[in-house]
Amino acid sequence: MSIVSSMPLQLGSDVNTLLYMTSLGFFIIYGLYATRIQVYFALNDIGRGLNKLKVMKDKARKEAIEYLTNVGKTGSDPTQRVDQFLDYVTIMPVDMDPQGIVGKVDHVVTTNNDRVRAEVASLITQNNPVTVSISENLLEVATSLNQIHKVVRHYYLLGKKTNSYFTLVQLQMLMPMIIQEADALLNAVDSFKVGQPVGDGIGPVIVSRLMVGAEKRAVAKDTVMAMTEYKGRKLYVLKADGPMAYVGQPGVAIKKIIEDMGVKPTAIVMIDAALKLEGEKTGEIAEGVGAAIGGIGVEKFQIEEEATKNKIPLYAILVKQSILEAITVMRKEIAEASDKVIQVLNRVIEEKTKEGDDVLVAGIGNTLGVAQ
Amino acid sequence: MMSSVPATDKKSKLLVYSIEECPACGQKTKRAFQVGDYITKEGAKCTKCGNPTRISLVYAEPAVKPSG
Repeated sequence: MSIVSSMPLQLGSDVNTLLYMTSLGFFIIYGLYATRIQVYFALNDIGRGLNKLKVMKDKARKEAIEYLTNVGKTGSDPTQRVDQFLDYVTIMPVDMDPQGIVGKVDHVVTTNNDRVRAEVASLITQNNPVTVSISENLLEVATSLNQIHKVVRHYYLLGKKTNSYFTLVQLQMLMPMIIQEADALLNAVDSFKVGQPVGDGIGPVIVSRLMVGAEKRAVAKDTVMAMTEYKGRKLYVLKADGPMAYVGQPGVAIKKIIEDMGVKPTAIVMIDAALKLEGEKTGEIAEGVGAAIGGIGVEKFQIEEEATKNKIPLYAILVKQSILEAITVMRKEIAEASDKVIQVLNRVIEEKTKEGDDVLVAGIGNTLGVAQ
Repeated sequence: MMSSVPATDKKSKLLVYSIEECPACGQKTKRAFQVGDYITKEGAKCTKCGNPTRISLVYAEPAVKPSG
């Protein structure tokens, strides 16, 4: 009787012990190999992302070659030249002694831009400036995606080779943002190919309205200006030369208007697209002070220096959008913000200047599909 | 372990339109974007007053899904 009654208890005790020993073993193994397990998952994850990046960069390269061949009418197969172009590097100047660094960066960037244009012009037989500018932009997109893929692949292989947990986990955490940015770049190709205005072009869209009917003239490389009037103020409005995919040189243009033309503006108003934060609505308008311009910083520096030297207040009007919306076809919400921006611009001019003053208005951004 | 690589977005299809605006009467006409369109390009004659129109905006909006 006593033996029979004790049997289930013994059996239960064995199962419990087994479970206990298994879980203990699992924890010991996990404690010893946790990083290796995580490295395995990180490698898988990054590998998948890397494949996506490869597909994206190959697609951008293919689209650029197709555009150059079909629209640009290259005489021969441009594949080899395009592949050489994708690996071209721009070496930034040394910054150990920052004195005069902006001038040096400007010089390097200008040399690079001139080289890209010359390269494209020698590649295609179509000398339509819109086609040339679109080709430049498509090649830049393909180059950026190629560079992103190369850098990610470098850290992936480095992490794999050295079994470096921290390198791989950092890369794994950055992958969603990298893929998002690459996806935005790839989407930009579709808009560029057919010459549709992009979200970043909202500044030029507004300024082009102010330029209607006025005489335009080139004021800097790829940059045009016109004079117009608003309630007794003389407006000097400038934008990149459209409908080409140019961003122009607003810094040089503002300097020329002030120094060479002798204009003494009471205010500089800059209209630009701005990256929205998550949760902000596309097409929202923000006002502020300062130079509203992105890029590498050369133009911003030039504008700030000119404004500071001449004690001219800088006002900014920004239209919020995501990175994807900024480089792909302009969304309705952004386009429809233009009427509101003009109202804000008029109010800023009325509030900050008086009759008889000169005001400089700059529409900043890529002016693809936006003429004047 | 959950993947940190986002799946390719299911992109909502965007339709691109050109808006032709009559500078004389302000009438706006919305039509599908055609390659070669750009803002300030001369458009068709205004259906209301017959003056030449200009493209004032080019924008994209999501395609409306057919109901049912």
